[in-house]
Amino acid sequence: MKTIRETTRIVLPEGYSEYVLDADRDVELHLEGSAKSDVYLRIERAGNVTISADIHTGAHVSFLVWNASENPVTFQEDYTVERDAMLRIAYGEVNAAAMHRKGSVHLIEEGAGALVSSASLVSDEKDFELYVINEAPHTEGILQNYAVVLEGGKFRMDATGKIVKGAHGAQSHQTSRALCFDEKQNSTILPKLLIDENDVQASHATTLGRVDEEQMYYMQARGLTVRQCTSLISAGYLLPVTQFIEDETLKATLREELEKKMEEL
Amino acid sequence: MKTLEIKNLHVSVEGKEILKGIDLTIRENEIHALMGPNGNGKSTLLSAIMGHPKYTVTEGEILYDGKNLLEMTVDERSRAGLFLAMQYPQEIPGVTNSDFLRAAMNVRRERPVPLFTFIKEMEKTIEELQMKPDLAHRFLNEGFSGGEKKRNEIVQMKMLKPSLSMLDEIDSGLDVDALKIVADAVNKMHEETGMSLIVVSHYDRFYQLVVPQFAHILVNGVIVTEGGTELIDRINSEGYDWIYKEFGVVPEAEEEVKRPVISLGSCAVNRGNAAK
Repeated sequence: MKTIRETTRIVLPEGYSEYVLDADRDVELHLEGSAKSDVYLRIERAGNVTISADIHTGAHVSFLVWNASENPVTFQEDYTVERDAMLRIAYGEVNAAAMHRKGSVHLIEEGAGALVSSASLVSDEKDFELYVINEAPHTEGILQNYAVVLEGGKFRMDATGKIVKGAHGAQSHQTSRALCFDEKQNSTILPKLLIDENDVQASHATTLGRVDEEQMYYMQARGLTVRQCTSLISAGYLLPVTQFIEDETLKATLREELEKKMEEL
Repeated sequence: MKTLEIKNLHVSVEGKEILKGIDLTIRENEIHALMGPNGNGKSTLLSAIMGHPKYTVTEGEILYDGKNLLEMTVDERSRAGLFLAMQYPQEIPGVTNSDFLRAAMNVRRERPVPLFTFIKEMEKTIEELQMKPDLAHRFLNEGFSGGEKKRNEIVQMKMLKPSLSMLDEIDSGLDVDALKIVADAVNKMHEETGMSLIVVSHYDRFYQLVVPQFAHILVNGVIVTEGGTELIDRINSEGYDWIYKEFGVVPEAEEEVKRPVISLGSCAVNRGNAAK
């Protein structure tokens, strides 16, 4: 595991690698992927974080970006994916601090693909603005965002799939789901598809709902406290995000981190 | 000796009084039948005992083992030994039967139940209720048939070992074979633990299998008469009309039960809120 304390350029090694971001200032990360790389990036402490990454031709890069910061963090992220390369990003946002993220994925050459997923447990403000842009033919972009919003939490998911003119045969799909425990509905999901080409496939699905009182009652009637019900339901809601991760080590890490968090609820 | 004592219980739902002064005492090891036409308060009584938030107790008291149930939350009542096998068990997607049951067992123990012990007991109970072996790994009641849901209620009852169980139309949705399986499981537990029971059923069949010593007839929010098995036999052969005449009561007309089906993560797109 490597610790990052300041602006850094990293050429991602083949296979599994771990980085901990622990910085008392703003940090820029420049990443380059040319191989099959599975990366666990854990944010312990940072101010503003800027990430730019180039995923080169034929590379398969997976990131698990786990936010463990106790303080608010702002992310500005920009990824480009070249010919026949694949980028997977999974965001774990279950810490108690606020977070703002603006992230763009550019699928710039034919055959490029991206799968962006997130699991959020929201007890402060979590604000996502995500773009996946199909800039070349036969590219595929997928967004999968799941959130559980607890009391006092404010969730905003602004997710855009964009297909530019000329990107024929491109695909853009997205799903966003949020489940609220708070009496005051405080979640916003803005699913957007901007399409400027005819020969494409695109879809979006959104669900936003409050937890059913009858379900809570049923579980309580078996002896579980409100807190335990919340924990079980939240885990059941967020754990499916792990299916979007291919690498077994990253998948297990996300699962363990999520389960640990749910038990603490 | 754990006794459930209900005294002059009045219960309202959304401002409408459903129960109008119920007195009922259930002692350990007793089996009570709660009968009456639909929509006259049977389920309301069981839900009020369990503490469903929709049911407001406006007068009277409920004690269990000397403790005031009305001051306890739903989960506290469960941990005090109460169990309600529900008429419409909820589906909880994402939560497996085994995770749910283990959590529910652990809250009533000082130390968590060892995994191996739990698995053994779960397997045994699933077998006893003759359910599919994959039950443990399926999500709680999700996609279960009506009969499977009812049997799963009994699986939970067996695992949680309550001292007082309330069965709210546990027999509806069960075929003859499943009815026998459920009745055997209930009887066995009753014999082994002295668990007391309040049974709501419309069918004499079930009362022949799980035989109550006491029957209470609930009409329009009050218990109009009480008796033993002879009362059940008479209702079975003659219906309720003679009760209406003899006791001068008019049953509450049955209302269509409204059950909004809103599951976890219901789609809000069409409600026009998503884009605001």
